[in-house]
Amino acid sequence: MSEQLMTAQEIEKPAPGSGFTGSTDGQDVLLEITDLSKNFGGLQAINDVSLNLRAGIITTLVGPNGAGKTTLFNMITGHISPSEGDVSWQGESVIGQAPWRIARAGIARTFQDLRLFTHMTVEENILTMMESGSWLWQSGGKFRKAKRLDKVNQILERTGLTDKRHTRALDLAYAERKFLSLARIMATDSRLWLLDEPASGLDPNSYNLFLRLLREEVKEGITVCIIEHNLDIVVNISDRIAFLDQGKLLADGEPQAILNDPALAAIYFGER
Amino acid sequence: MTAYILNLLVLISVYAILSTTLNFIIGYAGIFSLAHAVFFGIGGYTAALVAMNVTPEFFVAIPVAMAAAAVTSLLLALPALRVRGEYFVAASLGLQVLAVTLFSEWKSFTGGIGGVIGIPAVEMLGYPIYKPWQFLLMSLICLVIIIGIIRILVHTSFGRSLKAIRDSESAALASGKNVTVIKTLSVVLSSALAAVAGALYAFYMSFINVQSFMLDTSVLVMAMVIIGGTATILGPLLGAALLMLMPSVLTYLSFLPQTEIGSIQQIVYGMAMVLLMIFRPGGIVSSHPGGGK
Repeated sequence: MSEQLMTAQEIEKPAPGSGFTGSTDGQDVLLEITDLSKNFGGLQAINDVSLNLRAGIITTLVGPNGAGKTTLFNMITGHISPSEGDVSWQGESVIGQAPWRIARAGIARTFQDLRLFTHMTVEENILTMMESGSWLWQSGGKFRKAKRLDKVNQILERTGLTDKRHTRALDLAYAERKFLSLARIMATDSRLWLLDEPASGLDPNSYNLFLRLLREEVKEGITVCIIEHNLDIVVNISDRIAFLDQGKLLADGEPQAILNDPALAAIYFGER
Repeated sequence: MTAYILNLLVLISVYAILSTTLNFIIGYAGIFSLAHAVFFGIGGYTAALVAMNVTPEFFVAIPVAMAAAAVTSLLLALPALRVRGEYFVAASLGLQVLAVTLFSEWKSFTGGIGGVIGIPAVEMLGYPIYKPWQFLLMSLICLVIIIGIIRILVHTSFGRSLKAIRDSESAALASGKNVTVIKTLSVVLSSALAAVAGALYAFYMSFINVQSFMLDTSVLVMAMVIIGGTATILGPLLGAALLMLMPSVLTYLSFLPQTEIGSIQQIVYGMAMVLLMIFRPGGIVSSHPGGGK
């Protein structure tokens, strides 16, 4: 594989209007954020944000440190309760619901610090994500078990972790940990993935593999929302960009329109 | 001499049950409880009461003792497991202190400070068990069954959920795990199985009082788990054997002042814990000396 970063187009960026992928207009709104605010004591972490995540595209949240991007993820997934506003998933409000209920409803996330199940093997990490609804053991007998293992094998192969199957997450290299984080989310049946800086620190080969995997998943109908700081990655990945600063949504639209806005660039690079 | 060794082996197997059941929550779920002796005690007192007032039948007394411990553990687990780990440690310590007071004062159930005396020999399907080797066999069978249950559980999706919660509670929540329910179930199961040890202990000693169920016992069992090796099957067994044998071994060391054996034992426990935490934090049996589970 080339050591150079591939562009989104080289990695089969879908054509506008082709089914679930492409254009950001006219697609179903999967997640609707309305007038969302969050105060931490005197700090206004999120300030009256309204944003829609549309089906089958990659929306990227950008903004300087402290803009409220991760806080927004935490509120969508129920890890933090908002002070005001609503988050609606496929038409139903998820405010007040426990994070595990929101996860089972189809919203999966990764963490900036990965939060892998460090003392479990790679295979166990993936299997655990496929068992959210089970209590003592998985139902369905040998047939379902064989299907689960088949899915694990596929995920391992696609993420390049087959050789690390029985390695503890703790013992993986940095890039492998990043891919395990992605492999875990691939194991869920979620329709919406919230990825917190999934490509940061990846070498070019790993980055290209990551980009390809993401595009394949989006093509399969997965909706993705990414937090990312690296503008090269933002350009290569995004179908739509939402720009946050100091808890406010300043802009939301096509990547080029956002990235070419000198006022937003000044904020992003701290030149205001 | 044979009776002495048999006595030691019975006590080791009873404490091995305790350490194995505590390891289930410490090693696999990351829940540190300082109240394990409470469920040991509830098992003992309940089995004694059933044996003295209803029937000494093993298959009646043990399930009732397990049920009593399970219900009591719910009182601790339901409120305490909604908060993070360190709060559970504090809550379990509170329960331990409270339970010792109750065990000392609730005379109709525990006999107060004097304890319960004259517990009849346990019967297994009508056959009385009173010889030490019979007790040893019975407690070893119980230990093997409990190890089997735990071994099966930790390899199911329930076990993976426990380990996931131990490693990252927030990630487990984000993967759809109902963390509170899973943690509560694990504490209830661990407590119910600890009650088996309490019942066996009560039947074996035919006398129990609060001295056996105090904070010292909870700390001793936790030390067995940590010294032996958390999240392993062999670790708690080895820890129980080592810490139960240590007082006997110390009495054979003639150069030690025999009147101070108790204090020396505490010093050895403490030093062993400190050295292990520095050099082998996963415990003696840990397959990952650097602290892996």
